[in-house]
Amino acid sequence: MIEIRNVSKRFKKGWYALKNIDISIAKGDFLFLTGQTGSGKTTLLRLIYMDIFPDEGEVAVAGFLSSTIKEEEIPFLRRRIGIIFQDFKLLKDKTVYENVAFALEVTGQSGRKMREKVMKALTLVGLSHKRNDFPYTLSGGEQQKTAIARALVREPFILLADEPTGNIDPEGSEEIIKILQEVNTAGTAVLMATHGVELAKRMGGRFINLEQGQITTK
Amino acid sequence: MFSLREALIGLRRNGVMTFIAIGIMFFSLFLLGAFLWGTFNLFGVINLAREKVEINAFLRESLPQKQVEELSEKLMSMVGVESVEYVSKEEALKKFQEEIQDAPSLIEAVKTNPLPASFSIKLKDGFTSPEKVKEVSEKIKIFDEFIAVEYGESWINRLDKVVKILFLFDILLGIVIGFASVFVVSNTIRLTVLARKRTIEVMKLVGATEKTIHAQFILAGAIEGGVAAAMSGGLLYLIYQVSSKFFVKFYFPHDFIIIGTIVFGLILGMIGSKLAVKTTSKEMKFESPNV
Repeated sequence: MIEIRNVSKRFKKGWYALKNIDISIAKGDFLFLTGQTGSGKTTLLRLIYMDIFPDEGEVAVAGFLSSTIKEEEIPFLRRRIGIIFQDFKLLKDKTVYENVAFALEVTGQSGRKMREKVMKALTLVGLSHKRNDFPYTLSGGEQQKTAIARALVREPFILLADEPTGNIDPEGSEEIIKILQEVNTAGTAVLMATHGVELAKRMGGRFINLEQGQITTK
Repeated sequence: MFSLREALIGLRRNGVMTFIAIGIMFFSLFLLGAFLWGTFNLFGVINLAREKVEINAFLRESLPQKQVEELSEKLMSMVGVESVEYVSKEEALKKFQEEIQDAPSLIEAVKTNPLPASFSIKLKDGFTSPEKVKEVSEKIKIFDEFIAVEYGESWINRLDKVVKILFLFDILLGIVIGFASVFVVSNTIRLTVLARKRTIEVMKLVGATEKTIHAQFILAGAIEGGVAAAMSGGLLYLIYQVSSKFFVKFYFPHDFIIIGTIVFGLILGMIGSKLAVKTTSKEMKFESPNV
């Protein structure tokens, strides 16, 4: 479903953010992407959701190829993947429900079917009781759960998580990881970038470690 | 409908920003509208003055009526002549007496009528410049029936100079105000778009097309620009009403000033938003605290 073939990405002349990366992610995988800050984790995720493009090699995601995708096709790729960030990226002027519904509304969905999907996603992350609250009234963990619900409401085949527990207390982090595992059990692949190698080992998942843009452990 | 709803929600929930943006746009559109209004009135005054430009051609004594009529027709057929009015000796005296009625002793002094009959010749638009007036009056002088042809040369020259200066000043001021309002409005709109950068980011993140992203911001810009322009037009109209009632009755072309200002505000709001959202969206890379 995701093939990263011999990909290199340079940001400055001669400085590789990623070098000769080969990764393949299949349906239902749970993969940790570990490494220090600056090792290239976020760059790899950005290549997958095609915010940036490789200088060498190719990225293939759900039938879209980085070498041939047109700018106007990128939204359609994004609709097939869910993305969450360390800083949640929620809209402050919208309630929890509205933030989640927004992901469907921007593609023209509305009505009862949409409301059902939103409520299902909110129930999955355990936030249906806070649907009318605004993000600033929520804890970090709850905000990330809202972001997860927004990412899942489209039923993506993969969830990309960029340091999802970076701004959350340990207790909240456990909950987030638990939700990600449940999501994975339900069939969605998860690619989680984190600098906590220990966490990855403890969770027992498959992990890829990056050091200065290169894979050290597969 | 999603875009319109989102535009309205965005404007309402970012109330302070919306209020400031509309306020700034209102002020610049008001200035622009006031300038246009002023220009209309200025040109109205200039036209009034130009209408007063006329050539007086004084006739020899006791010409037969038929000859006078023929002469009038000849004058009418000349290029640039708008109208020809015959002023008889009696009418000339009556006019003169009216003009000096504050000095009764002078009226008494005028026992006989020394004033000649004349033609008062008005010129068409475009023939009131000093050069043209001179040209026409030189042609009139060719007729033997006239003893003198006058057109107030120094007055016309002065009027022409004043008109040229006013015209130049008005154009310069127009350019400055025009550019300033386009600059202020488009930058204000840009700020409102930038203030909602996160919305654009999230829309891109969840797979909204550029068209969908643009639509809600263009609508919001049109609403802001339209409201500000309607307020400006409304205030100009109010000033016109008050001044007509209590001071001077200005010329106020409603369609041009009110509708013109609103259309200008709407278009400026839409184009400003379109450009701002296009640039913001294009330059947007997902901001992330990580590398």
